Amino acid sequence: MRRSLPTALVVVVGLLLLLDFVVVNPSLAALAGTLLEYIVLIAAAAAITGALALGLRQVGLLRHGGEARSGPLLVLGGMAVMLIAGFYPGSSGATDPAVRWLVAALLMPLVAALFGLLFFFLLGAAQRGLRLRSRETTVMLLAACAALVLLLPLGGIVGAWLAGASSWALAVPIGGVFRGLLIGIAIATAISAARILLAVDGASDD
Amino acid sequence: MTEATPEGDPQIESEVKESEAGPMRRRAPASLRSRAGWPVLAPFALLALLAVAVVLPNLAPPLSLANPDRTAVTGFRAALGTLPDDPLVLVAFDADFGTYPEISYATRSALAELADSGASLAFVSYSPEGRALAAAELDRLQRSGVPADRLLDLGYRSGVEAGLVQSVTSIVPEAASGPLAGRVRAQGGGIDAFDAALIVGGSDLGPRIWIEQVATRIPQLPLVAIAPTVLRPELEPYLASGQLEGLLGTLRDGVAYGGDNGTAPDRPPSALAMLLGMLVGIGVLVEAAGGRLAAALSSLPGRRR
Repeated sequence: MRRSLPTALVVVVGLLLLLDFVVVNPSLAALAGTLLEYIVLIAAAAAITGALALGLRQVGLLRHGGEARSGPLLVLGGMAVMLIAGFYPGSSGATDPAVRWLVAALLMPLVAALFGLLFFFLLGAAQRGLRLRSRETTVMLLAACAALVLLLPLGGIVGAWLAGASSWALAVPIGGVFRGLLIGIAIATAISAARILLAVDGASDD
Repeated sequence: MTEATPEGDPQIESEVKESEAGPMRRRAPASLRSRAGWPVLAPFALLALLAVAVVLPNLAPPLSLANPDRTAVTGFRAALGTLPDDPLVLVAFDADFGTYPEISYATRSALAELADSGASLAFVSYSPEGRALAAAELDRLQRSGVPADRLLDLGYRSGVEAGLVQSVTSIVPEAASGPLAGRVRAQGGGIDAFDAALIVGGSDLGPRIWIEQVATRIPQLPLVAIAPTVLRPELEPYLASGQLEGLLGTLRDGVAYGGDNGTAPDRPPSALAMLLGMLVGIGVLVEAAGGRLAAALSSLPGRRR
């Protein structure tokens, strides 16, 4: 019984939005618009709650966290700097030059460097994975090696052949697997939605 | 993983034991200890090599990042070529920090080409990361001399897909002002006020979601996209069906497009640095695979005696 109200809400909201998608009706459109506004507000509230929870968690770690205090300090410091840049008196928010500088000159290079390091970490992990002799790891890494060879930035005839082969690999085998995954996910989502709409899920009747 | 531990290979067994023993303060694996010295210096040497490669000019023609097959570039440029005079283009900027370096060259080239052709650009984002990157690119465009009255910042819209659906009928924030905001409002105030949408993808809200949520509601709106390679397999069917009129979906296509574009504002990524990094990657994988092959051969029944 406790879960029947949320289920009913999901069903009603879902059907209303679906109806608005297929039927042109001003009243229905207005109702769907209001519902969308609620969803947007809930999403915004969830984002703010998430940021607050992260901040509180870091404060807790800072107060009770023994040696490892540099992480929480950095997180809280980063949050504070961004908030000050976006909210100081006279600030224009996200378009303020201070925020733009922080993003373009600090955040972007830092994250790009982190993702660059991922390459080296992956190589290290690949080496260890191969030493552990997992068959799946070997297959995955052979595929990665083949992809690297296909992506080599060579010119001339060899480069043209490699570029063609990499395009084919992306469009045919990799594309096929991706599409299979997407179709599978879509079917699973549809089944899950149908179970909720038809109240087939036993848990919803609790 | 542990069931795959080989028998008769003391080195690998000891490494497996070591890797399972202590999570943080375990000793380095035996193979690394035996090669002490170079593994410590290797990352720094590679870093120095990459730095030199980035600074050195590209060695054309032996090295080339640009895709010799211009199909994607031609399609993308043809889609932009069908825009009317003084077009109003919506730039949906939802790239992510991790993959943006891969598409930044193509994105900046496309924005420069649109600005040079006299298009007015309105930026909107549905992800916080996209918003941060969009603000930086807007700043860059302003500094490069694009008139302020041809740029409109529609800001960040929360709600992800719900926010996108809401934008179909209302995309201009109340606080937005200026001639461009007025022009969008005069044409209905929704996404259908625009002549085309350029979607810069990478985050969860990419071109596929745009096709699902916007193209189904405004089928006459031309959609073109710039996306990292990881998204290309899922976008290929939409390109083939015409729902996506143009796509730059790989670094090769992006470099080919920027190279053709005389207004490309950036240096293309360094082919030499990429080649070096890839060769190191291939080398490490081949070395590890060779070790595995050698271990497998040594554990064959005839060689165990």
